[in-house]
Amino acid sequence: MAYCCYSNFSSTLAPLRLRPPPRRKSIAAANPASVSLSDPFVLDIADKLEDSVSTSSSSSFSLLQKLRDSSSQSLLSQRWPSPKDELYRFTDTSFLKSSQILPASPPSIISPSLSSPASNIITLVDGHVVPALSRIPSLPAGAFAGSAADIPPGALYEHLMAAAGELFHNEDLFWNLNGFGAPDLAVVYIPDGERMIDEPLHLRFCAVDAAEAGSGRLPLSNPRVLVVVGKQAELAIVEEHLGVESGEGNSYWSNSVVEIVVEEGGKVSHSYVQKQSVNAAHIKWTLVRQEKRSSYELVEISTGGKLSRHNLHVQQLGPDTTTELSAFHVAQGDQIQDLHSKLVLDHPRGYSRQLHKCIVSHSTGHVVFDGNIKVNRFAQQTDAGQLTRTLLLAPRATANVKPNLQIIADDVKCSHGAAISDLEEEQLFYFQARGIDMKTARDALVFSFGSEILARIPFESYRKSISNQVKELLTTS
Amino acid sequence: MTARLCFSSLTSLPNPPSISSSSSSTRVHPNSISFKLPSRFRYRNADRRRSYQIAATLTVDSQTSGEKTLDTDRPRVLLEVKDLTAIVAESRQEILRGVNLTINEGEVHAIMGKNGSGKSTFSKVLVGHPDYEVTGGTVSFKGEDLLNMEPETRSHAGLFMSFQTPVEIPGVSNMDFLLMACNARREKRGEPTLSPIEFFGFLSPKLAAVNMNPRFLDRNVNEGFSGGEKKRNEILQLAVLEAELAILDEIDSGLDVDALQDVAKAVNGLLTPRNSILMITHYQRLLDYIKPNYVHIMEAGAIVRTGDFSLAKQLEKEGYRAISSA
Ligand SMILES: Nc1ncnc2c1ncn2[C@@H]1O[C@H](COP(=O)(O)OP(=O)(O)OP(=O)(O)O)[C@@H](O)[C@H]1O
Ligand SMILES: [Mg+2]
Repeated sequence: MAYCCYSNFSSTLAPLRLRPPPRRKSIAAANPASVSLSDPFVLDIADKLEDSVSTSSSSSFSLLQKLRDSSSQSLLSQRWPSPKDELYRFTDTSFLKSSQILPASPPSIISPSLSSPASNIITLVDGHVVPALSRIPSLPAGAFAGSAADIPPGALYEHLMAAAGELFHNEDLFWNLNGFGAPDLAVVYIPDGERMIDEPLHLRFCAVDAAEAGSGRLPLSNPRVLVVVGKQAELAIVEEHLGVESGEGNSYWSNSVVEIVVEEGGKVSHSYVQKQSVNAAHIKWTLVRQEKRSSYELVEISTGGKLSRHNLHVQQLGPDTTTELSAFHVAQGDQIQDLHSKLVLDHPRGYSRQLHKCIVSHSTGHVVFDGNIKVNRFAQQTDAGQLTRTLLLAPRATANVKPNLQIIADDVKCSHGAAISDLEEEQLFYFQARGIDMKTARDALVFSFGSEILARIPFESYRKSISNQVKELLTTS
Repeated sequence: MTARLCFSSLTSLPNPPSISSSSSSTRVHPNSISFKLPSRFRYRNADRRRSYQIAATLTVDSQTSGEKTLDTDRPRVLLEVKDLTAIVAESRQEILRGVNLTINEGEVHAIMGKNGSGKSTFSKVLVGHPDYEVTGGTVSFKGEDLLNMEPETRSHAGLFMSFQTPVEIPGVSNMDFLLMACNARREKRGEPTLSPIEFFGFLSPKLAAVNMNPRFLDRNVNEGFSGGEKKRNEILQLAVLEAELAILDEIDSGLDVDALQDVAKAVNGLLTPRNSILMITHYQRLLDYIKPNYVHIMEAGAIVRTGDFSLAKQLEKEGYRAISSA
């Protein structure tokens, strides 16, 4: 099974200075021999996607076209994951496989329910950047945020075109399905030395085209975002995924990719909130490349979706680089919450912290965590820590956790741990002894388990609203 | 609780080629996960008594007084423990072997005794800790059967215990916890609940009484508190809950001289003719500040001697040997 996302990625080169790869043909024109090797189910989705995207006109020399070309080639050799694949051993994707997958139709009327009070916002509706729902008053000089089609000709455009081949390449089925089916490409670029941190940039991923749950139909959208933060530049992002639909609990599949490049000395604070419909599939890639002395902080709160899979890959490409990853997942009835993370430290004096916490509150809930941290040979004096804690609140609730630290360098400080538990009796009793009933005590303790992560959301208004939403979710269950 | 735990085998993910080529020197640190699900939270009493009537007990004395109106001056019995025996629920080991104790309104009692004699177990059994099972005897509190009540109902009835080692509760702020406790009690009494701002007004003098910095309200309950700070926090909770019987399990341990005075002053400040205190301590020092009417000695799960303050003095001088052989 191919699993070498970085195998042809040279870490000594800045990502934006890489050679473009040779141009590739689209799926339809690919040679028949390789087509016969592909998975018919994958091919069927690809076919439908190709029909849907070809209707939206795009110049063959555009960035988006490069993305499609790069993805189509890789897509051919990939098959649908089976439980035999290590990466999907515990994550059952049969919900997708058994559905009739249809490309989401392009958004027509923009409903007022899509509006948001955020001051800086880019809204993607089923993968399309919607300018009417996007505004960025505090965009720094020389910066860009919007659809790649609107990037003015000039240095930025040339840069991205040159680096596209390297940026868009990845040997993963869902990554390439996204690249092949993305109807649009949102680009955020913060030039060297500029900052956008007082008011975060809200990236809002709305799923609008949805089918009634149980209908067997599953509209698929492929939102794609590229974020480039220049040298010594700083950016705060709040990424939010939600279903906007008339009926409660509709079905759809959001297959998104967010790619972030943090150049030398850059800083990115990234909050990620996943609150999709409970009958939706949410497959998400976050790929982060960090140049030297850069810092990347992720706070992830994932509560939605019937099947939610987050592939998070972070690579430290230079020394003195900092990465902090926190995640809080809640799996209630019939939900899978899966985080597969991979952090590669290749250079001296890297620093990383990962904290994963999850709650499984129903017998049919399921949490998966596979957290791989690689401390490679040249990553001396690295300080890497990883901790995962699971709270199982119901009989037969399931958690598969695999924290895993691989160390090749010898002068490093690394620690990791995993714990799985029910609520602490002694803590529950403390509440009761002070006159607080068992249910209130349980609710408070369950919520407090996640509050350590919620407290890390850097913006108070977001922290409050997300906390309230999580509290409500955990109390009514 | 039986939760199914499936751990993946400890194989690592396939490596990118450049890394696997040097895998001879790879130290894979697989997770060494130890986990244990605690046994189910046990209820000793299946029947929950939801409506405990505090007012009903106030008439008890007058009912018993046949001829003398003087009887109303006689102190009311607050707690009456008869032949109480209890075991550790998990191991079935017997700890309490027939405890007898009566505490009237307005009295201060002290229990002393060697390490492991059962003092903390006795306190925890009184407040309904799930680690223990009562196997015999009776306990009445203000005329009601205490053993039949849920722990929170015992608290609402006016019983309070400060823990010898208070547990830390990460993620729950001290302020939220106190407000929850205060409002739970007010609700039970049919009083309107307090908003956080109203509550702060109610709390401020109490904070001052225990000489506690308000910034402790923003911290998580007992998390990272020093030993002395935890004890102060227990007394703050007592002040908020205004209990009628406060059981103070080693409230003096871990306190410096100033803190001991603060805590003792706060406790004395809470003492009224209607309130009672049961202190557990190893040292006469605390009793110098909070004067007991009675001193009891516990040994092997029973109270073996009862005396006045002089018993504590004798103990301080001569040790337990002199007492138990007497
Ligand atoms: N939950 C429990 N599980 C097992 N043994 C227990 C438990 N609780 C109490 N014991 C045992 O019961 C005995 C009495 O313990 P307890 O804590 O009541 O003593 P104590 O008088 O408070 O001692 P100290 O003065 O040291 O605080 C000890 O031997 C203790 O080990
Ligand atoms: Mg004790």
